[in-house]
Amino acid sequence: MGSLFRCEEMTLCQLFLQSEAAYACVSELGELGLVQFRDLNPDVNSFQRKFVNEVRRCDEMERKLRFLEKEIKKDGIPMLDIGDNPEAPQPREMIDLEATFEKLENELKEVNTNAEALKKTYLELTELKHILRKTQAFFDEAEFHHAQMHDPSMQEESVTLLGEEGLRAGGQALKLGFVAGVVLRERLPSFERMLWRVCRGNVFLRQAEIDTPLEDPVSGDQVNKCVFIVFFQGEQLKSRVKKICEGFRATLYPCPETPADRREMSIGVMTRIEDLNTVLGQTTDHRHRVLVAAAKNIKNWFVKVRKIKAIYHTLNLFNLDVTQKCLISECWCAVCDLEKIQMALRRGTERSGSTVPSILNRMDSKETPPTYNRTNKFTRGFQNIVDAYGVASYREVNPAPYTIITFPFLFAVMFGDAGHGLIMALFGLWMVLKEKALSAQKSDNEIWNTFFNGRYIILLMGTFSIYTGLIYNDVFSKSLNIFGSSWNSPAMKELFPSHIQLNPASQYQGVPYPFGIDPVWQVAENKILFMNSYKMKVSVILGVSQMIFGVSLSLINHKYFKHPLNVICEFVPQIIFLLAIFGYLVLLIFAKWVTYDVSDSSCARSLLIMLINMFIFSYPTHPCYLSAMYNGQEGIQAILVILAIVCIPWMLFVKPFILRRQWLNRPHLMSSPKPADGAIDEGEVVHEDGTTRIEAGHEESEEGFNFGDVFIHQAIHTIEYCLGSISHTASYLRLWALSLAHAQLSEVLWTMVMKIGFVVPTWPGGIILYLIFAFWAGLTIGVLLIMEGLSAFLHALRLHWVEFQSKFYGGTGYMFSPFSFETILELASTEDK
Amino acid sequence: MLQHFDLKLHLQSTDYGNFLANEASPLTVSVIDDKLREKLVIEFQHIRNHAVEPLSTFLDYITYSYMIDNIILLITGTLHQRPISELIPKCHPLGSFDQMEAIHIAATPAELYNAVLVDTPLAPFFVDCISEQDLDEMNIEIIRNTLYKAYLEAFYKFCKETGGTTADVMCEILSFEADRRAFIITINSFGTELTKEDRSKLYPHCGKLYPDGLAALSKADDYEQVRAIAEYYAEYWTLFEGSGNNPGEKTLEDKFFEHEVKLNVNAFLQQFHFGVFYAYVKLKEQECRNIVWIAECVAQRHRAKIDNYIPIL
Repeated sequence: MGSLFRCEEMTLCQLFLQSEAAYACVSELGELGLVQFRDLNPDVNSFQRKFVNEVRRCDEMERKLRFLEKEIKKDGIPMLDIGDNPEAPQPREMIDLEATFEKLENELKEVNTNAEALKKTYLELTELKHILRKTQAFFDEAEFHHAQMHDPSMQEESVTLLGEEGLRAGGQALKLGFVAGVVLRERLPSFERMLWRVCRGNVFLRQAEIDTPLEDPVSGDQVNKCVFIVFFQGEQLKSRVKKICEGFRATLYPCPETPADRREMSIGVMTRIEDLNTVLGQTTDHRHRVLVAAAKNIKNWFVKVRKIKAIYHTLNLFNLDVTQKCLISECWCAVCDLEKIQMALRRGTERSGSTVPSILNRMDSKETPPTYNRTNKFTRGFQNIVDAYGVASYREVNPAPYTIITFPFLFAVMFGDAGHGLIMALFGLWMVLKEKALSAQKSDNEIWNTFFNGRYIILLMGTFSIYTGLIYNDVFSKSLNIFGSSWNSPAMKELFPSHIQLNPASQYQGVPYPFGIDPVWQVAENKILFMNSYKMKVSVILGVSQMIFGVSLSLINHKYFKHPLNVICEFVPQIIFLLAIFGYLVLLIFAKWVTYDVSDSSCARSLLIMLINMFIFSYPTHPCYLSAMYNGQEGIQAILVILAIVCIPWMLFVKPFILRRQWLNRPHLMSSPKPADGAIDEGEVVHEDGTTRIEAGHEESEEGFNFGDVFIHQAIHTIEYCLGSISHTASYLRLWALSLAHAQLSEVLWTMVMKIGFVVPTWPGGIILYLIFAFWAGLTIGVLLIMEGLSAFLHALRLHWVEFQSKFYGGTGYMFSPFSFETILELASTEDK
Repeated sequence: MLQHFDLKLHLQSTDYGNFLANEASPLTVSVIDDKLREKLVIEFQHIRNHAVEPLSTFLDYITYSYMIDNIILLITGTLHQRPISELIPKCHPLGSFDQMEAIHIAATPAELYNAVLVDTPLAPFFVDCISEQDLDEMNIEIIRNTLYKAYLEAFYKFCKETGGTTADVMCEILSFEADRRAFIITINSFGTELTKEDRSKLYPHCGKLYPDGLAALSKADDYEQVRAIAEYYAEYWTLFEGSGNNPGEKTLEDKFFEHEVKLNVNAFLQQFHFGVFYAYVKLKEQECRNIVWIAECVAQRHRAKIDNYIPIL
């Protein structure tokens, strides 16, 4: 299949489905998820389509299910999500489902109204209970005052003015009317104020707070309320007070005047509350039972309804043929899936019991097919990295398989630390091993999901970092001395050498360290000098190789699309240009590594200056590090420069002019009615309704040739390539820069933080070290692993998108999005959250 | 009811989204209306809750007009012996206030002021109305217009004091509002027992008609004279000119609405001012009215008139 290297070969198909079998067939195709349907009625409104009624019924069912779900959630009943995937039910089952939901909804609504009524009564009774209790207190108090006031009046001889008044007040109190009720606590102040204003201060209000919050029967919220009792005189005031109470939504309750009545009433109220409690309990139980039963199935139902809806949505995309007997649809699918699709159609037809088979015809189309890269859980992450830049044009080389290796590798070059790499690899490995359990959790934490989806990338990045870390001999900024250093410096004999300057002339033993960088460099003073030179050169080598590889991939593209002109006028000059300048530079780097040693290092040629001199044809003879590196250098360099310069006009002019000549020399017979011919070709499947649709892409083949456009396009392309190959090479130096930064940061962290833990030699040092280590480990994870990791990831991403893919990748395709229940359900479940 | 489903589908693809998704079908116009209003109120409250001075005062001013409407609605309702519980749901939630529901205890404007309104922000607007003797239909109408006049003038003053672009934008809108009221009061007063002096007291004094236009309006006796007055004002004249009551012609009211929409839309052309909040609420309201109009037309199968909504451009 080779589908990893390019996208699948796609074909446009026409489907003829018998009306009665269409539903089952589409359902099978939805389970399969390999077919992308095209909208055949783009100019028809969404509500004028054929199956809009069914879609509406599904909407209605979904609404009922949402209502159920809300009620279930309100009661905190766990919903069973066993992740089963029921098949889309038959259309006739839809009526059953509808009836079930209808029944459930009605039952619930009934229970709810009952419960609400009961709760209302309960609330009223509780309020009444509180009123009776609180007013009792008021009256007791009043009684007490009363008695007090009466006291002086008992002593007839000392009747004071106050006493007189008190007596009168007492006398009037008997004629006072009162109302008692309950009002929301926050409305009490304005209630009191208004009472005062309206009745001009002729009322007496007592209030007390109800300590326990009460439940509002409609919304179910807990609300705080106050008991109040208003005393007034006369009928007119009474009606006013009542109106105000009504205005403030205060509930008034009858309150008997005598204590005996009140006591009796409160006993009555208590018994009624108890009765009500049992009834209320039964109602809640019933509701709970109904909901528990529904909760078992609700996920299942959701899946079913969503599937039905998706099927009808798809059917709405279809065309009805004239006889109304069958539905016609057009779809994209991969050529190698045709067999599976045929099988699915056959299953669908059988299931629906239709006698006429469904027909699948391949069609020819000039339209660009969608790009379909089949992925598995391992390649998906890498394919996503590529697709994030742009979906590959149809059938062009897919960079994803190369990215699988180059991406983690370039990352690791920047991230090179075996210790950090190990932690990262372990994290990736943990996610990979626990894959099933973790993905079943369905976390909706976006950051976690990003990491989890990239688990294989992380695992590879970690593993590659271990490798580069070992090459750099860098483990948490320390070196591993496995094979024994091949250097012998006098300072190395000391336990804590203060100053090691490695001198290869005297201290090198002649046999290199077998693997990676010699550990002694880690402590050497001249480490940075040595590492920089090494990492910089490696970056250039890696970068140039990757770019050459990218350009070579463009050759595969040109060959595949049969553009010999592009090979000659683009690929060849491009590769010559790149090799002549940077390929030569890479050669020089290797030569320099091989030819110079410590004895003649002062004359080691400066490659950068040499490259610059190559372009200005300047060949100085002294100082010695600027002189020629080998015999005949002048001639070879001159040839290379001229070759590279010749490539520029080659890229720029040849192709547009050849295209122009081809256009002018084309046979002038094209004016004959060619389009009709095309229509017949395309109409391999005869459209019986007589409307031969000419595909939209058909027009462009007859378009005129615009030399200016072509030329400008080519000019941009050329300039971009020439400047690009220079700037891109420089851009690869970020590999060196980031790895330097990473190494330095981790070293700084070690010396500035971890070392503090080593200074105290006795036992308190252990405690300090314990604390310091936590700090160091936290910073290592937070800064070096996560922040530095993200930064290296970003740079690796850029190197792939810009430096690598710009050499061959068009990325102008569009994604194949098949009709699949799986994606539809996933989408719906994420929307729920 | 089939058609309301289409309306729902159409609204789904707009900013309104799924706001009707959880409503049981059949959808009625009143349900749509309620939901639309609820959405507007939620959005407004959201803005209000995040506002600081002086924007919060500005936003409060917007709510005052709804409070006035609510008060008038409640008084008229009680006058017609309707129970208060039936009236409350009809009130606009933007204009609700604590004492609102107790409004029916007031029998005279003085009582209304002393008992109910004195604690509300409307109190200063009401001072002019206390003299009215009792609450009959005529007086209620006068109270409404006096309140509105005081409110508009206060709002105008507030915007002027705020200054800057807010003043530019809002004064334009508010003076149009004032003039529109003046015109409408005049036209509606023909054939009622409202005297000309009383009428002239109701004109808000913050519009472009003040003072000459208003003086002329207070003397007008019929529609033609009003038209003649409008002739002196170019922007109002175009409104009068294009209107009529014959079928196919737009009513003056619609013309006024269109002009209001235009002014509100213009508010969005400038930056760094409060006018957009006012314009947002008003335009949103107009949009709701349009949707409800269309829904009504659909419900009553009045296809011919379905296009008579006020386009927001």
